[in-house]
Parts: sequence; structure tokens; C-alpha cells
Amino acid sequence: MVIEKILNHISNWGKFWFGLIFLGSIFNAALEKFNFFSDTPYIWVLAFGSGALIGLIAKIRGAWL
Amino acid sequence: MSESSDQSNQFSFEKEKAIAKSFSTRFQWEMILIGLGQAAIWLSLWPLVLNGFLDLSIGFVIASLCACFAYLPSHEAQHGNYSRGNPKLRWLDGLVGHITLVTLKFPYHILRITHMKHHAYTNDPEKDPDYANAHNTSVFKVIKNTLDGTTVQYDKYLEVFQNDNAFVNSFHKAIPLALFYKAAPLVLVVIFPFETLLLWWLPAKIGTVYTTVFFSYYPHLGTSTGRYQSTRFWSHWMPRFLNHSMQLHFIHHLHPSIGHYDEPKAIEALKPFLVAKKVPGADQIPERITLNPLIKV
Repeated sequence: MVIEKILNHISNWGKFWFGLIFLGSIFNAALEKFNFFSDTPYIWVLAFGSGALIGLIAKIRGAWL
Repeated sequence: MSESSDQSNQFSFEKEKAIAKSFSTRFQWEMILIGLGQAAIWLSLWPLVLNGFLDLSIGFVIASLCACFAYLPSHEAQHGNYSRGNPKLRWLDGLVGHITLVTLKFPYHILRITHMKHHAYTNDPEKDPDYANAHNTSVFKVIKNTLDGTTVQYDKYLEVFQNDNAFVNSFHKAIPLALFYKAAPLVLVVIFPFETLLLWWLPAKIGTVYTTVFFSYYPHLGTSTGRYQSTRFWSHWMPRFLNHSMQLHFIHHLHPSIGHYDEPKAIEALKPFLVAKKVPGADQIPERITLNPLIKV
């Protein structure tokens, strides 16, 4: 039952979580590499927010590309 | 006796099977070496890159090559071509099948059971799990859909084969590993963002696209259903050594127990049967396949 709920959640919200965590972490690491952004506070909000937004759009569209 | 009856006797299935069987006995050591070797190389990239012994860009290239080599050793395992029916060696099928797929992040049990259905129902729009890949309108759409993950329709095939206990059980057996392959990159990316992207996620995508284009799309392009009609002989500009000789995939569909590296010799021996049975493209098969790159510009 618990596994079934997890699988349902992943199949419904997997793209969102992937966007938030995976893409967010990549964007965050990439922005930290740029000197221009390195001193900007809360830059991680932009990084993880962009990742989550891309994931949410993919969830609504039902496809990444 | 009529001419057609003479021909059907000359090219009988029993004779074809006997010839194919003579190429189905050798121990597939090359595939074991490639499967376990690429996984070991891929795994060793992590400490080498993380400790600064290897540049991440070089690690990415090596990881992508490993991912392109990852599927075929598992494919031989899926057909039991390491154990060859010996129960004492069945562990070898599972070992190679599981370990080689780490690079591609796919659970062995799911690939094995869906591949068996692909063989049983090749080109059937409802029952062939590879149908969406094999019958796409262009290679670019295959690439897009593979990157997108939209051709992986596990839910659909769980429903189609819901009364097949072996199919459903294999799926359930694979769930923990499938969850691990979903969760592991999400944990790793928080700690090692670029390394996770360039050593695992992107190479796995490249390897999956390579496998789908050359294993699913080209060999079945424009073919129909039926034992001798579902897979074709084809050639293009790329030497066959760069695409795992998938020009010869049709012989695998006819006789899956022939080892991958024994397929050229088997085709040379079976060519009259393939032409007589009207395998698509069989009349284009050259007399000599061994070491022939099969280039067509």
C-alpha cells in the first residue's frame, strides 16, 4: 500500500520533484560558478525556483520536450 | 514432387534450426567482459573525478561510451545466453544483467520481461513494448521521445499483460531497484551536482538514445508482423562496428540463442534460408559478413 502510494505520487509529481531537486541543484551550482552572481544573497531561491517551475510546466504538459 | 515442395523441404525449419543451434553453444565471454568492464570503468570514474585525477569533461566522454556499451551484455543475459539452460550458471545471467545496467539506470527485471514480450509480439501495436520506438515517423522523433521518456509506457503494458503472472511478478520484483534509480541521482545531485549530471544522468540519456535508435528503430523500420517479416537486414553510412552490428539484428529475432559475436558466421551459413523465407532485405546480404563493415553511402 505504502509503495503503491509512493509510485502514484512519483508518476503524478515526479517531473516536479525532478525539476526542483535535480535541475535546481544544477542551476544553483552553475550560478555559484559565475562571479557575477556569487555575492548575490538568496541566489539559490532563483536556482531552485527555476528548476521547480520547469518541472511544474513539464508536469502540466505531460512531457519534458 | 513439385518444385515448391522440394524448396520447402530444402529450407525446412528443422534444418534452419539445426544450423542455428551449431552457433548457439559458445560461452559468451566477450559480452561478460564488456558488461562488467564498462560498469567497473564507469564506477571508477567517480573517485577519479572527485579526487581531481581526471577532468570531468573526459569523465563525461568515457561515461557516455560506457553507457553505449551497457545494454547489449544485459540483452544476452535476458535471453539466458550465458547460462545456456544450465541452472548452475543462471546466477551469471542475473549478475551481468543487473550490473551492466547500472550505467543506464534501468532495472534488469523490467527490461527482461518487456523484451520477452517484444520478441513474442514484435510489431504488434497493442502488445509490443517497443512498438512506439520502432514505428516512429523519423529518427529525430525517436530521439526526442526517448529523451522525453514518453516511449516508456510501463503502465500501459502492465494493463495489457495484467493476466500474465510472470510479467506482473517481474515488474513488482523490479520496483525497489526502479525506486533506487529514481532516488539515487536526486540525492547525489545535491552533493555532487555537475558530477551527477555529467557522469550519470546525461551519459545514461545518451546511452538510452543510442540503444533505442540502433536496437529498436532501425532494425524494425518498415517491417510487419510474422516470424520472418518482423526484422530486416539494413545498412547505412555507419560501419556496423559502431552500432553494435544491429544491421544483423534480424538473425537474433529468428534465433535469440545465437551469441552476438557469432551472428555474422550464422548469417553466412543461413543466408539461403533467409532469402527463401523472404526476410526483408535478405537479398542484399553479402556473401561475407565477418569483418565486413556493411557500409552503404
